[in-house]
Amino acid sequence: MSSLLAFLIAFPLAVAVVLLFVTRAAVRNLIVIAASVAVAAASIAMAVTFGNGNAIFFGLPGNLALGHSLLVVEAVMTTFVVVVGLRSRRFLAPLLALTQLGLMGFMDLTGRLPEPDLGRLFWFDRLSMIMVLIIGVIGTLICLNAIGYMRDYHRSSPMIRGRRTVFFSVLFLFLAGMFGLVVANDLPLMLVFWEVTTLCSFVLIGYTRTEETVGYAFNALNMNLLGGLGFAAAIAVLANQNASLELDKLTAGPVSGIVLLAVALLAFAGITKSAQMPFSSWLLGAMYAPSPTSALLHSSTMVKAGVFLLLRLSPAMSGTNVGYLVAFVGLLTFLFASLVACTEQNTKKVLAYSTIGSLGLIGGCAGIGTPELAWVGVMIIIFHALAKGLLFLVVGTIENRLYTKDMENFDTLLSRLPLVSALALTGIAGMFIAPFGIVVAKWTAIKAFLLVPGPQGALMLVIMAFGSSLTIFYWGKLLIKILSMKKVSDYERSIERRVSRYEWLTEGALAAGVVVVTLFLGVISDKVVIPYAQSAFPKATPGIFLHIEPGMLIVMMAAVLFLPVLAIWASRHVMSDEADFYSSGRGGNADHVMGAALGGARTVTLRNYYLEGVIDGGLMFRVGTTACAALLVTMVAYGMVVR
Amino acid sequence: MNTAIYGLLFVVLAPLFGGLLAGVDRRVSARMQSRIGPPLLQPFYDVGKLLQKTTRQVNPVAGPLLLGHVVFMAATGALLLGGTDLIFVAFVFALAALFLILAAGSANSPYSFTGAERELIVLLASEPFFILMMAGICKVSGVSTFGDVLAYPQWVAPQLPGILIAFLIVATIKLRKSPFDISTSHHPHQELVSGLTTDMSGRLLAYVEVAHWYESAILCAFMVLLFNRSWPIGLVAFGIAYALEVLVDNSTSRAKWQLVLRSTWAATLVLCGGNVLALFVIGR
Repeated sequence: MSSLLAFLIAFPLAVAVVLLFVTRAAVRNLIVIAASVAVAAASIAMAVTFGNGNAIFFGLPGNLALGHSLLVVEAVMTTFVVVVGLRSRRFLAPLLALTQLGLMGFMDLTGRLPEPDLGRLFWFDRLSMIMVLIIGVIGTLICLNAIGYMRDYHRSSPMIRGRRTVFFSVLFLFLAGMFGLVVANDLPLMLVFWEVTTLCSFVLIGYTRTEETVGYAFNALNMNLLGGLGFAAAIAVLANQNASLELDKLTAGPVSGIVLLAVALLAFAGITKSAQMPFSSWLLGAMYAPSPTSALLHSSTMVKAGVFLLLRLSPAMSGTNVGYLVAFVGLLTFLFASLVACTEQNTKKVLAYSTIGSLGLIGGCAGIGTPELAWVGVMIIIFHALAKGLLFLVVGTIENRLYTKDMENFDTLLSRLPLVSALALTGIAGMFIAPFGIVVAKWTAIKAFLLVPGPQGALMLVIMAFGSSLTIFYWGKLLIKILSMKKVSDYERSIERRVSRYEWLTEGALAAGVVVVTLFLGVISDKVVIPYAQSAFPKATPGIFLHIEPGMLIVMMAAVLFLPVLAIWASRHVMSDEADFYSSGRGGNADHVMGAALGGARTVTLRNYYLEGVIDGGLMFRVGTTACAALLVTMVAYGMVVR
Repeated sequence: MNTAIYGLLFVVLAPLFGGLLAGVDRRVSARMQSRIGPPLLQPFYDVGKLLQKTTRQVNPVAGPLLLGHVVFMAATGALLLGGTDLIFVAFVFALAALFLILAAGSANSPYSFTGAERELIVLLASEPFFILMMAGICKVSGVSTFGDVLAYPQWVAPQLPGILIAFLIVATIKLRKSPFDISTSHHPHQELVSGLTTDMSGRLLAYVEVAHWYESAILCAFMVLLFNRSWPIGLVAFGIAYALEVLVDNSTSRAKWQLVLRSTWAATLVLCGGNVLALFVIGR
């Protein structure tokens, strides 16, 4: 086994254990900084050492009985779930965990689970490399950001009892679990890492231990344990058929018969973890946790594990009805999450629905299963991880300064927090401004949908056309609020100086990442993503991939840099002849106090449109959830019936 | 390299086309209202005058954003004629429109803000159409650039009847014609004053006008794309469509945004969605 790979999994684990015993903040911060740097360096080293070639397999030395060891780890995790479940009198999670343990224990102890090939436990290819980089670099940046954020968070919410010891420990455990998950090749081993991330997100979401957050944490736990049960059931199905439990063999090409059921169950697990409908509610509940938690869950970990698995399964699903059902779950999630996002006023919720939509889009691409769409899926993963990580951290920073996450209170942000606004604008440009990253991906997706035969292709195009337009609407509203300007007092100007250096450093680094990845878009595509897509689909006709022309690159760079640069320039630019806006002669000023019709003064409020009366957010959520649930039931039933 | 020249030509000639079109529009509208109307070149005189006036700005970002609006509008046309992928062009077109919205919103004033929000709604209403139109053209012709579609030996339009009808509806939005001119108003004393251009003056207002000329020319190019085998027929088709728009503009009153959004989406879903579905089911 490569020592680098061992380090990536074992070192964050060790740090997690050490952090449990460190109660002094100064010492803890030092450990977090040092460990983050080490993990980021190791992930880059891993990518440089092994990422330039084709798939490499790693194993473990000696001949330990891995199957039984995994069972012990699963038993420990199940005990944890049972204990926390019983303590708060919630029984569904313990039941799900015990069922899964019972299933895996039965398979293992009765000898139905074959001993894995110790030489092929881990699989490292270009997709794993991208994931390792995202987890190692973006994940650790979020850990660093948390140092500054959590201090301010507890300062502004003194009634919340600090459990920062546990918080930082779990962050590193999460990283260890993610690293293991994205390099595991043996499915039972992957399941263990899979459940580690489930438990970590449970602890992080329930951090404040209020009744509300504990409810959300258990909701997340239930849904993800259900997915985990699907994962375990897939392993049982495969083992029963004496089929290989190695992911690379399972996903070598389209599958049929009973193996398709296993693939459907694994895809089900991927859909739960990536919070696609009908399982979106757990990710929305995660909004009430501290912002670094949201950033971590949304950008570099957890949900990315779900879409990572879907992309892995993509070649196996390709052209099958299970694949099409997965695709429509994803695309409908994209459409309905975008519809709901247009009606939301809480900025973190808008970001959350946008995440759910993007994940749906990735799932949609994975389900159809062509090399071009695998390319799209990976591209969205990269850009989304950077931009959404940045946006969540920035919204956290704004929240800690202005004590609000309501979009309506973000007006004139550019005048009040100019540099923070520039960071937010970079993130938004990275997420959606036309010819960049995700839009390039959407564009390629449309081109690929054109080639899907039959009515499915047309449905996909229609969903994409509407979904994509909806994203313009909700991002546009946020942009209007951020970009508006007014004259501000010296006090308002001084607020920005209280942003901690950890936040500047990490958010600045992510913003720089957005720009650098745009600049090297062509290189990343040509050298990493296209080779990955072609190797994942060796039998498909060589895909026609997007070639990024220099002209396009110029437009893209202009689009991504324009708003942040403008924001910084405008905040420093003093206008000598600045005029007041037009107010029909009613004396409007920067604070919007205007003369009323019958004398006196009224304050005018500028409020975004939330499409009331045309789109009902709650209804859209229910419709999407119901439709996707029906598709998922059909998918599993189809897998059981078809032979 | 040849196609790049077409792109460049568009940047130079499109404002002339768009400005003349606006002049004709004003004359025809005037005749419909039993007036004589201004000289044909009045839009150019207007912009010339605007450029000479002192620009009163309410903040420093509006100017650069409006410049971005003009540049991206010109770029949309240049990319289209220069041979860039049609679906990509649809995305850049939306980006260009977004810059105008941001410029208006940045004024932080009641009228501009409402105009900006409404323009965002009409962008939301019209964007699905443009994506589906491009997708439909690509599906029918099997190619994906302006030049290739024009070189395609069969007519595209007969296979896209739904999209052609929807074009008329969506063009009402893009040309800012009543009943869908909810974000602007060329007539004084209305509820929105001058909508999203309320706080723009002088040079900034000139940018908006020129960008709108580009926008009209882009719509015309889209029509030529639909009538791919003969650009004169495309021009005539656009002329007829424009005449209908002027007629509708002068005979209807402004709708509420709910109606605009609902009707445009319904039309796009039924006409364009149905059209695209038929293409996929029946096949080529």
